Amino acid sequence: MKNMKRTIALAAAATLAVGSLAACGNDEGSGDGEGSVYFLNWKPESEETYGEIAEKYTEETGVEVKVVTAASGTYEQTLQAEMTKSDAPTLFQINGPVGLVSWQNYAADLTETDFAKDLSDPGLALKGEDGKVYGVPLAVEGFGIIYNDAIMRDYFAMDGAKAASMDEINNFAKLKEVTDDMQARKADLGLDGVFASTSLATGEAWRWQTHLFNTPLYYEYEADGITDAEELKFSFNEEFKNIFDLYLTNSTVEQTLAPSKTVTDSMAEFATGKAAMVQNGNWAWSQISEVEGNSVAEEDIKFLPIYVGHEGEEKIGINVGTEAFMAVNKEASEADQQATIDFINWLFTDEDGMKYVTEDLGFIAPFKAFGDNTPSDPLAKEINRYITNDDLTAVPWVFTTMPSSKFKDDFAQLLAQYASGNLEWDAVVSGVVDNWATEKAAVGGN
Amino acid sequence: MQRSLKKYFPLFVLPTSAAFLIAFLAPFFIGLYLSFTKFTTITNAEWVGLQNYQRALDPNDGFLGSFWFTILVVVASVITVNLFAFTIAKLLTQKLRGTNIFRTIYFMPNLIGGIVLGYTWQSMINAVLANYGTTLVADWKYGYIGLIILVNWQQVGYMMVIYIAGLQNVPTELNEAAAIDGAGRWQTLRNVTIPMIMPTITICLFLTLSSSFKMFDQNLALTDGAPMDRTQMVALNIVKTMFSQIGRQGVGQAKAVLFVIVVVAIALIQLRATRSREVEA
Amino acid sequence: MSAPSIAENAAAVGGPVIAAPQEKRPGRPGRTVGLAAIYVLLVALVVVFLGPIVFIVLNSFKQKFSISSDPFAVPVGDMWAGFSNYITGLTKQNFLEAIGWSFFITVASVGVIVFFCAMMAYYITRIKTWWTTALYYLLVFSMVIPFQMVMFPTVKLADMLSLSNPLGMVVLYLGFGAGLSVFIFSGFVKSIPLEIEEAAYIDGCSPVQTYFQVVFPILKPVSITVAILNAMWVWNDYLLPYLVIGLSTRFKTIPVVVQQFVGSNGNRDMGTMMAMLVLAVIPIVIFYLFAQKHIIEGVVAGSVKG
Repeated sequence: MKNMKRTIALAAAATLAVGSLAACGNDEGSGDGEGSVYFLNWKPESEETYGEIAEKYTEETGVEVKVVTAASGTYEQTLQAEMTKSDAPTLFQINGPVGLVSWQNYAADLTETDFAKDLSDPGLALKGEDGKVYGVPLAVEGFGIIYNDAIMRDYFAMDGAKAASMDEINNFAKLKEVTDDMQARKADLGLDGVFASTSLATGEAWRWQTHLFNTPLYYEYEADGITDAEELKFSFNEEFKNIFDLYLTNSTVEQTLAPSKTVTDSMAEFATGKAAMVQNGNWAWSQISEVEGNSVAEEDIKFLPIYVGHEGEEKIGINVGTEAFMAVNKEASEADQQATIDFINWLFTDEDGMKYVTEDLGFIAPFKAFGDNTPSDPLAKEINRYITNDDLTAVPWVFTTMPSSKFKDDFAQLLAQYASGNLEWDAVVSGVVDNWATEKAAVGGN
Repeated sequence: MQRSLKKYFPLFVLPTSAAFLIAFLAPFFIGLYLSFTKFTTITNAEWVGLQNYQRALDPNDGFLGSFWFTILVVVASVITVNLFAFTIAKLLTQKLRGTNIFRTIYFMPNLIGGIVLGYTWQSMINAVLANYGTTLVADWKYGYIGLIILVNWQQVGYMMVIYIAGLQNVPTELNEAAAIDGAGRWQTLRNVTIPMIMPTITICLFLTLSSSFKMFDQNLALTDGAPMDRTQMVALNIVKTMFSQIGRQGVGQAKAVLFVIVVVAIALIQLRATRSREVEA
Repeated sequence: MSAPSIAENAAAVGGPVIAAPQEKRPGRPGRTVGLAAIYVLLVALVVVFLGPIVFIVLNSFKQKFSISSDPFAVPVGDMWAGFSNYITGLTKQNFLEAIGWSFFITVASVGVIVFFCAMMAYYITRIKTWWTTALYYLLVFSMVIPFQMVMFPTVKLADMLSLSNPLGMVVLYLGFGAGLSVFIFSGFVKSIPLEIEEAAYIDGCSPVQTYFQVVFPILKPVSITVAILNAMWVWNDYLLPYLVIGLSTRFKTIPVVVQQFVGSNGNRDMGTMMAMLVLAVIPIVIFYLFAQKHIIEGVVAGSVKG
């Protein structure tokens, strides 16, 4: 038995060794000293734009740029397969500190690159344990409660409205009072419900288990003065429940049906005016604008911070941050690495490159070079309005410290069961706490 | 005569064997090796011994639970698929008019595959359940039944074709002889038809067994394991270990090896059990 | 029409078991009744098997929003999206080219699989040595291995051996398809009486001639079955082409392209996906309907010989 194991190991190792030799051979064949870029993109919706960018860059500099887009939800798997190929990605993405644990061996030190130094907030960079920069965000994104101002104005004009303007809604109690009242008068407002359906179908629950969870997680980290935790207390689970229950009850659908709804359904409800509010981020703009029968005017689309019933929440803004970090493949040839860094520099500092970033990709780029340049879509403008409002503190994206996507999937299932009425809230909380501990331990290699 | 054929082995056996070696056999042994390592990509694997196996068998992991659910699915789908496929095949070999059209139609679901089909079924089942104010993930039994229905819909036509081929190979004289001997239809079926098509039954049982054991797309699209991983089959559990957890690719690989051992054992038992009943044609 | 509900489906599926014993009652008057019952049953099964396909076709012409709000409704009025889902699909991704590559890979793979696997099955069934037996069991073994077990090593090996192109895919498919195909072929080879081959030898045929002139024609019906089964698998296969060629080369197959319609933020465009599914299925349905004739001929021919 022991012998067999050895033989297998040897045979396998030999095969792989031959593989790496072959890989070396191939590398020299393709790279004629010039270096080229291979970008493994994770946003399917940006695929076409990246294609144009690559073409433009090649036209200007003669450097080959290959853009490949991983199918939705398969980035990790795709990256693992592609990284072993002779022609491996030179530019790839890491989703926060947890992703860095997996890809540390492949991430080149970017501390001295121009684009890392050009970050408008150096704190945004993804740093390793050694303090060096291994990942640089390519866009700042924001999420909160998107609302349709036209519907809100209709409501405020009604007799006995619980508020006169959006400015009055700056905490959970008020949000609840107003939305409860709106829900009661939904027929008059022409709504199916105040909040678009709480999409809890499998694979569609990220707005809750990741984004909504960010707020209580942030409060917990703040209260404990930490930035990450091996064990989660979920101290603010009541706050999470407050807002989650509100979404479920003042909704367009029965809460037991929420587990069959998708994000596309929710966005369509909002876009067609059947719901007044929906929690989502600025990336959802295209999902609103492209829906047939869209009845929401561009200027009526606004963001409201997520209020959960936490003390002092009047002072918070929307959730702003980044989860995708660009990393350069350390295993690629020197020339390819340099070509990749040059490409990123071009994209984020050159006039043409920057134009693509703001106008076509619609990114709010976190670099000094961009100054006040932001995309022209209403949600990006709203993010800018919140960032520049000094009275409000933006809630940073701390969900990147969540231990794994398994944790998120399990969380989603707990929430779906809670919505179906099969699970008490306490069980959700203990499930989340336990899963956090198990999955964090797994990251540490236990 | 056998001897003269023997030397043509390069022509008859080599091409397929070479492809089989590249696509399956060599990767399988590399995969076996990887199950004893920690790796992110397969080129930077680090030997860790049996650690992955220990983790795979950790009772908190859900791997063992996924085995039980898989067995539930396999048992139900092997029985139902073969029963329906055989019954339909029997009906369609009665020399009725228009059987070709029916056969063609019943086979159609096999032409469609993939994740999108799973999503379609998810929306259909949810639309039906919405009438009762519930969803596919509210109870694991819904997901279970949904999965069985989906598998039946997909595979019955496929197995039916094989059964039809088998049934048409049963010489009609045998049935006639049985009728003359005064055997009823049921007796003929049991004592003549079934023994005669035992090789076909073996093939169909084996095919349904292996495909339902490996089922992945349908499971992923329909329930993704919900509620609480109670409808998670082994293949899905393995994939999730590999891609949804950090640094657990080796554990996923170890689970795959364990899974292989179990499936091979079951398949061997099944083949042995049915082969022994085959009559030499 | 209102599409069949699951409950109805289940009832219909459950039907045959209950109905089957009843039609077995002997006697003339019962015969027509039994016959009618069989036809009713067969038609009910048509509804069951075609229902979901009709569902897909209907929804591919529907507005995104209506797909989830009125899944079973016929797309009329506001719901009618015309061909917009098809147009989105066809223009966004390079769908036509994908049809071409899928077609090439499927046809070539199926041809190669049938040709070589039949030969191998013949050889290892007729020549009984330890290694042919071992090979047979290895092939059977490969059928039960989940793809994930070998996924990464296969992708790596394919890359090393420069198989990341449509022709390379054919080699990989031969390797992966060998298990099932050899298994089915050898089952049928066993049932061919040795006398036929011996007669050919006596007539002075070499083993190769014997195989191609005598054995292979006998294998025709099963070849068609094997061809159809493999064609469907290769045509619909997603993960292997995605990882080996779908990503970094321009050779994308249909399932790879269809999957690209899922956006990163759960923007699952079901309308377009269903439209693409319909387009993807049309060629294989045509192929199937065409081959269907041959299957019946083949099966009948096979039964005469058997």
